[in-house]
Amino acid sequence: MGEVELSCLAYAKMYLHASQFPRCSVNGLLLSSSSAGGALCITDCVPLLHSHLSLAPITQLALTQVDVWCAQTQQRIVGYYQANACVSDSSPTPCALKIAEKIFEQCNNAVLLMIDGEKMFPGCRVPPIVMYERKDARWALKDKHTIMLRQWEETCSIVNQLFSSGDQALLVDFDSHLDDITKDWTNQKLNAKIMELVSPANGNV
Amino acid sequence: MSSISELYDVTWEEMRDKLRKWREENYRNSEQIVDVGEELINEHASKLGDDIWIIYEQVMIAALDCSRDDLAWSCLQELKRQFPDSHRVKRLAGMRLEALERYEDANKLYDSILQDDPTNTAARKRKISILRAQGKSSEAIRELNEYLEQFVGDQEAWHELSELYINEHDYAKAAFCLEELMMTNPHNHLYCEQYAEVKYTQGGLENLELARKYFAQALKLNNRNMRALFGLYMSASHIAASPKVSAKVKKDNVKYAAWATSQISRAYQMAGRGKKENKCSVKAVEEMLESMQITMS
Repeated sequence: MGEVELSCLAYAKMYLHASQFPRCSVNGLLLSSSSAGGALCITDCVPLLHSHLSLAPITQLALTQVDVWCAQTQQRIVGYYQANACVSDSSPTPCALKIAEKIFEQCNNAVLLMIDGEKMFPGCRVPPIVMYERKDARWALKDKHTIMLRQWEETCSIVNQLFSSGDQALLVDFDSHLDDITKDWTNQKLNAKIMELVSPANGNV
Repeated sequence: MSSISELYDVTWEEMRDKLRKWREENYRNSEQIVDVGEELINEHASKLGDDIWIIYEQVMIAALDCSRDDLAWSCLQELKRQFPDSHRVKRLAGMRLEALERYEDANKLYDSILQDDPTNTAARKRKISILRAQGKSSEAIRELNEYLEQFVGDQEAWHELSELYINEHDYAKAAFCLEELMMTNPHNHLYCEQYAEVKYTQGGLENLELARKYFAQALKLNNRNMRALFGLYMSASHIAASPKVSAKVKKDNVKYAAWATSQISRAYQMAGRGKKENKCSVKAVEEMLESMQITMS
């Protein structure tokens, strides 16, 4: 099916989110700031939860809040990501499928992204992600060749830099925001740091 | 690289006290424990007296959490030397095997502890943790239920079981576990709030009303619990919007929802004061509350 492009910003924050809570399942939403039609460009993500992913109230709350924020910032929710607590199991859970389904209702080329914990180690040559798309009324594995991560090496190096500078601790997910509402789940500060590291020569990464 | 004591300008006594605090309050900040504990052990072992043994145990477990097998191994050796026949140390050896994913060997170790002492709860719980790590949820649930028949007062076990049930989407059984926890810990706002979330997830008018009541109870116990505040707003709004309720119930719930809204707005306004980056969240919440009101009414 269609091509999907994953930006450095979105990838970095997803990776940081999974790393921040290594013993928990984590999830979040994938956003796009480009208009519908053509290739799907995932330009950002919002980390949501690290506990009780399958309970309804906070998930509903988070989805509504992100929806509103997207409308304010001209972005769309185009996908969902999840990293399972059990590293060896990267298959989508019923909860993941449910939320992805909801997103698909509003976005017909939505993707479901599972983070493969087993590939999250320094020096791994392949992106630790498995992507699914909607095909014939079910979620099917997406052809790896239709998934683009521009400047993969640079992205990896940026993630490493965030860890060595300690900036990875800046990441706030929606759960953490509810624990302390002065924390910003839109991660403006971290976004700025990441964009600083993205070399200008690469244009819109 | 400078030491912890240099970086944070703390004395070894303060480091030791910090470790005790983390131990007593059961924090799992393993990287910090490893940093502080390793330095304490390497530089100040002689001053720690008998405290050193419990520190070795604490640091060992934290080291396993951080994949520091070198540190875990050396702590284990010290403990083995001092307490050669101890079941408690044997359990730590088992945990190290678990960290290395040598589950069969770990189980053998725990089984040998249980042969010697069938009432050893620590070994039993480790066996259940192994099932969980292997993704064998139904077996873990079964074993945990059996365990709880014998050890009815084990709070940690009840909470673990509630988590397992939530993951399996068995909300009724999760609710039962949380009810046990609420009974024995009536002042714990987190249990009330979790129970309310489970009820909300189960859905249906009765469950929503229960959810609302328990969100309210959580707020009574801790009026800063934002999840409970939002939960109260959402459950009251859903009830008010239901065609099955009487006019009085609708009116009451509209009032509860309105109260929750004002509390939420107030909380966000206080939080957003003077912080430019929070304006995004504050605005999003305001609009969200507005948009939810339109869909609920």
